[in-house]
Amino acid sequence: MQKSTLKFTKNDLAKYPFLKEAAEYVKSLDLKVEDLTSTDYARILERAEERIEEAILYTIVSRKLQNEEIEILSFPTAIMIAAATKNAFIKRRYALAEAKQTYNDLKLEPKEKILAITQNFQWNIAPNIGESEAAYEFKLHFTDYLKNTANLREKKWKLVNRLMTNGNVYLTRNETARLLSEEVKRHIEKRLDIKELPRLPEKIMEKAEKLNGLTLEKIGKAEIEGIPKTIIKEAFPPCIKALYDSAASGRHLSHIGRFTLTSFLVNIGMPTENIIEQFKGFSDFNERLTRYQVEHIAGERGSRTRYKPPNCQTLKTHGVCISQNDLCKTIRHPLEHYRKSIRR
Amino acid sequence: MNQKSQSFIQEMFNEFYRQEYTPKALSTIEKREFGFISPEGFMIRHKSFKNVDELKSYLENLTPTDAYYSCAYYENPEAEMDKKGWIGADLIFDVDADHIPTNCDKVHDEWKCGNCGFSGKGVTPEKCPICNGEKFSATSWPCEACLESAKVETIKLLDMLMNDFGFSDKEIHTFFSGHRGYHVQIERENVRTLDAVARKEIVDYVTCLGLEILSNSYKNKKIGTRVYRNLKLDDFGWNRRIKEGTIKFILESNEEELTKINLKKNVAKEIIQNKETVIKNLKIGTLRSVRGVGVETWRKLMEHVAIMQSAKIDTVVTTDIHRLIRMPETLHGKTGFRKVEFPPSKIDSFDPFKEAISFKRKTATVFVSSAPRFRLDEEVFGPYKNQRVTLPAAAAILLICKGKAEVAE
Ligand SMILES: [Zn+2]
Ligand SMILES: [Zn+2]
Repeated sequence: MQKSTLKFTKNDLAKYPFLKEAAEYVKSLDLKVEDLTSTDYARILERAEERIEEAILYTIVSRKLQNEEIEILSFPTAIMIAAATKNAFIKRRYALAEAKQTYNDLKLEPKEKILAITQNFQWNIAPNIGESEAAYEFKLHFTDYLKNTANLREKKWKLVNRLMTNGNVYLTRNETARLLSEEVKRHIEKRLDIKELPRLPEKIMEKAEKLNGLTLEKIGKAEIEGIPKTIIKEAFPPCIKALYDSAASGRHLSHIGRFTLTSFLVNIGMPTENIIEQFKGFSDFNERLTRYQVEHIAGERGSRTRYKPPNCQTLKTHGVCISQNDLCKTIRHPLEHYRKSIRR
Repeated sequence: MNQKSQSFIQEMFNEFYRQEYTPKALSTIEKREFGFISPEGFMIRHKSFKNVDELKSYLENLTPTDAYYSCAYYENPEAEMDKKGWIGADLIFDVDADHIPTNCDKVHDEWKCGNCGFSGKGVTPEKCPICNGEKFSATSWPCEACLESAKVETIKLLDMLMNDFGFSDKEIHTFFSGHRGYHVQIERENVRTLDAVARKEIVDYVTCLGLEILSNSYKNKKIGTRVYRNLKLDDFGWNRRIKEGTIKFILESNEEELTKINLKKNVAKEIIQNKETVIKNLKIGTLRSVRGVGVETWRKLMEHVAIMQSAKIDTVVTTDIHRLIRMPETLHGKTGFRKVEFPPSKIDSFDPFKEAISFKRKTATVFVSSAPRFRLDEEVFGPYKNQRVTLPAAAAILLICKGKAEVAE
């Protein structure tokens, strides 16, 4: 890693308020949470609220660099408010929106500034000095590369499709900015992941409530609630439960049975890896093929559309529907069963 | 294995752990989980040891048939799985002959139908030809040809780990597994915290899964004067492998071999007839060289080459961040061979049938039902069929462990 001697300007800190240096600056002002609610700081509080609002509405947070001070101070305040909403959707969305703006700004920065920012996250990165073709401005150690590409699905991000030598992956400036924005997203998410919130002033709690209301109003309920990351087997309809149990015990599934189960699991948010794991019990298990099929259904390959499981009518026709419980009588699609029964 | 053979094996293994076994210093031993298979065949898990001396005396007392430790480091290695507190894990690779197509066609392997008892040699079928049963018991053999093919895969893996991933000779630990393959283990600090997804990317890299040979922008386009970008780039990583591999493959092939990878007869002929031009152009990174040889042809050729260049590893071992792996210097219950380490630079000359052998001072008389010809160190044995022979203990133990012999009455 190369130590950069670049000093961040106040303008930099306003653009990249997540930097350690920005936090140090805020600390040097020796503010208290209570101060934020005083009239002197009303503009900070307002801007903080606006940041989250922009995230909810546009999934990007603008930069208002005319008043650097407010811009810097409103970031930690926004973190506090977003945490106070206790709303997983808002937290995720806010981290994503700040990261998006960061990406746009980083793309235009000179090499030296990008390097200086990566130092905040202890990246093992160096400029590419003529070892590879000039379009590649940086080389990043593959461990840092892998940590920041876990959510990137395009084929070009697969390690096997990268130029790598001596442990370093070559990157263009644009690509480096993209990975750095992933790092920023994770960094903000981590900061928002506060188990025990301290007692916050009334004014902050009010803002949090207001933003929760805005979210409810503007964003579809299903999207906010999402489907929980943990899979609740008790909420499976009988047909899916039977398929799931068959798979677990390694019994043979029909083609449509396999498709139904896979697409169901994909749609309730089970990660591809875990789904492939489900099929390991089969005597005809072939990891490469199974992976291909699962990723295809998940829309990570080929047509890039995520398949939905067939509806109840089709499942009946093909003998996949084996029995009906009370809830089944009120629905037309297996996913509906899942959503309804977890909400009960 | 009958009672008498079993006590013989246990006695020999016990003697080994008391007299021959020298435990290698295991890094961060106190944070690892240990597992053993007891002489009665029970799996013992969730053990931990403060130091190698404690471990050694445990091995002496238990005399396990197999001993394992976790590639993972835990806060509480003895706790239940979800309470262990995962800290990190070494990066490991397992190359096993079972996952590699070999020249011997595994004729030394035997299988038996669990349903009707029908048995045969070679690769285990999917269904029993007699009763259509799908459950089999199978025995394999640590054959020289199989181990040689595992070595070839390991060499390809080591090349990637050193040149592409940049691990040094000292950071890479290579082992003979004690049975039919090789293990590679990397303990470097910065790989320990990689999660399963990141490890899967590493697996895909070494097995070339998801490798884009020619990007889609070439689809349906004539190559014309265009230059295949990746080929023009630096000779690194997969670019180098594909470029050099393709040149070598074309250089060494005739028309027939090219048609075997599904190239059309006339296309294959064109390539072979213009070999020199094709190779000269490949070297400078141009695909335009011969009439009628288009993108699809290059894609087929290069896909074939990529698969030849990839390392065939057991992929689930690498992605499992809780994996138990055999402990170095302990005995393999299926052979009586030791899992032994050797420097990666010495892999070419490494001889598993010499370096992994213990029990050198003793002999034993056994009754062999059937055994192929095999070699231990300089000595060649067998083949045997229903006969009583007096063998060096290591050979006797191998045959007994493989179920091919019993201690003679
Ligand atoms: Zn049978
Ligand atoms: Zn063999």
